[in-house]
Amino acid sequence: MRIVHYVNQFFAGVGGEEAAGVAPAVREGAVGPGRALAAQLGSEHEIVATVYCGDDYAASRSSATEEVLELVRGFEPDLLVAGPAFTSGRYGLACARLAAAAAREGIRSVAAMHPDNPGLDEAEPAPVIESGRIGREMRQSIERLAGAIKTLARGEELHEGDGRIGRAPRRNRISETNGATRSVELLLARMAGDRERTEVPLPSFASVTPSAPLEDAASARIALLTEGALVPMGNPDRLESARATRWLRYQLDGLDELEEGAYQSVHGGFSTVAANADPHRLLPLDVARDLEREGRIGTLHHEYLVTAGNGTQVATARSFGVEWAAELRQAGVQAAILTAT
Amino acid sequence: MSATRVRDAERPSGTALRLLAHDVVRASVGEETSYADGLLTVGTRQATECFAHPALAAVRVSCASPGDSTRIIKVLDAVEPRCKGGEPAADGPPGTGVFPGLLGPAQPCGRGETHRLSGAAVLSAGFLPRAQEAVLQMSGEGAELSPLSATHNVVVEFEPAPDAPWEEVAEALRVGVLRLAVHLAQAAVTAPPDSVEELELPSTGSAGLPRVVAVTNIQTQGAFKDVLVYGRTMSGSLPTWIDPCELADGAVVSAQYGHPALKNPTFVHQNNPVVAALRASEDVELAGVVLCPEPVSEREKRLVSEHAARLCAALGVDGAIVTKEGGGNADGDVALKLDALEDLGILAVGLFAEMAGRDGTAPGLVVAPSRANALISTGNYDEVVRLEATDNALGGERLGIVDAAATDELDIPVAAIYGSLNPLGWNRLTCAAEL
Repeated sequence: MRIVHYVNQFFAGVGGEEAAGVAPAVREGAVGPGRALAAQLGSEHEIVATVYCGDDYAASRSSATEEVLELVRGFEPDLLVAGPAFTSGRYGLACARLAAAAAREGIRSVAAMHPDNPGLDEAEPAPVIESGRIGREMRQSIERLAGAIKTLARGEELHEGDGRIGRAPRRNRISETNGATRSVELLLARMAGDRERTEVPLPSFASVTPSAPLEDAASARIALLTEGALVPMGNPDRLESARATRWLRYQLDGLDELEEGAYQSVHGGFSTVAANADPHRLLPLDVARDLEREGRIGTLHHEYLVTAGNGTQVATARSFGVEWAAELRQAGVQAAILTAT
Repeated sequence: MSATRVRDAERPSGTALRLLAHDVVRASVGEETSYADGLLTVGTRQATECFAHPALAAVRVSCASPGDSTRIIKVLDAVEPRCKGGEPAADGPPGTGVFPGLLGPAQPCGRGETHRLSGAAVLSAGFLPRAQEAVLQMSGEGAELSPLSATHNVVVEFEPAPDAPWEEVAEALRVGVLRLAVHLAQAAVTAPPDSVEELELPSTGSAGLPRVVAVTNIQTQGAFKDVLVYGRTMSGSLPTWIDPCELADGAVVSAQYGHPALKNPTFVHQNNPVVAALRASEDVELAGVVLCPEPVSEREKRLVSEHAARLCAALGVDGAIVTKEGGGNADGDVALKLDALEDLGILAVGLFAEMAGRDGTAPGLVVAPSRANALISTGNYDEVVRLEATDNALGGERLGIVDAAATDELDIPVAAIYGSLNPLGWNRLTCAAEL
């Protein structure tokens, strides 16, 4: 098979975080982890090219996936392989979105990442193969990925046994017995020592370690963010009031305050009366400008980012988080205040 | 003289309540109420008299049976026809003694003999404030999603009196349905029962099997969203223990008209499915029911949950099955109790309906336990199902949730189907990952 391999700027050997903004580009043949993959795959398959992109570029530009895919198309590959991305959020999202976009237009593709990677939920319809948590687990991750590629080369589907991961949708069905009878059976199993059996796996919500305080707020660039669905009056960009699928950005440059009547919250989860009467209670531009004038913070970022945090799927919220972080890093922001409702 | 413990032999034991079941295989509306050979005839005039109340201008009684091309919409409650047998109570006419606190004095029930019409239910249907539209399909696609599509349903539609306060309309309807349920069961008291169930007094542990309690949370959110125990609300109360035989005699009556799929109709309290499953098991002893209110604030939820766990510990039970009533916040009442029970060494299983999104990929639980992980799924609330068009409809002309005629083919979430996700595990619906 002719394979094109996608990696980030780090695994392409271009550089670390300082190079996270680089635009999509191509290297001939296998590079970095691609070499180990090629060795595992043997002579039957060839990595004809490595396509790469900076993590921040990929996560913060909506056009990035299409730009990378255009490079992939040029090689007319039999298979696109993306990753392994381990637990790296930006890299994982880039792999997942590229693999999904390729699969949708008929290019066979597979991505590799850790099950905790927020990209996992965006790869569909492309399959995802489990990788380790960190780059040190590269060897085992490449071996598993190579096995999956050989399975694909035989024209077979990938299953759990191949290391395939991803959330299987939950579907209603009629059971043999009613829920009450099953609850007694489950209790008896628990009493007999089975402490794992369940019909509903407990959700696992990742915990986030807060970063260290700013060393010098007076020279920092600070962003204001909110999930309070504060948008210009009339909601010109139609932000959803619940189950948001996107986020928006609005200018703060030249504004000293948010005028009553010029903004509204379209959040569907609380009474918006107080927020509409004084939008600063959702987005504290008033005090932020005071702090800026007093020199207690450096500068305020020129726009605010906003979504509606109301019944949002966790996977979607995690993607927003990765995108916002990449976006703000690219803009040179050192800290952000995210107001929650 | 030193004090000694009461020996088991000195405690009352054996049968607490004899349930005499009369099977209903056909139901129709007619001149006079009667029951013979499985045929239930509902006398129109007698049925209508049960609803004589200034808050009700008119009622209409019809029958809908399994297989009928009928859809019942805006279902409010369902009650199994029951009445007392044996000698009449000193302070009531023959047959009364069920639904205490609503049809008679609030006195402990659950002893003696009770007749039930098995395979029949009395349903109220129509508009009430705060009620969410429930749909019940009696045949075809979608019928298998509700246990009440398998019963012969006596359906009561109603017209409120002009200017009657809605609370009074709801109360008149509720009491009328209970009266009608008693009236219908009374038609069968002289017929030989098709089966007899002897319900035992709650266990004292003498059999040496694990003792398990059913922890039944009930919704307590005020008018139109409340559940009555001996005719009174549990709002503001701490948990209490109740003899399952009291449930069989109607000690708990639903006045909760929200959440079509996530409510517990009176029928389900009379036939508490968790109690029934524990009775049916040869490996456990039923140690009774702990009824708990579902407060709305987190602090109160914690108070009630930890008290329920202490009550269970004081009862000396080994296990508990915890159920809820209502939407997302009621997940918290189950989750908190599961963790609190297991922290006290009582193994616990919880029943949850999932809210996993239309495509089934969202996390299904709004509030999950952090330690107790044995959970039963009664299905995904958000999945959309198709109901085929029907010839007839009862309960209203139009269905507001989808803005369609009551007889139209419908695509609706499972959440609207009466009883489908029943929190007490009444139904066979479940949800699982499709690999």
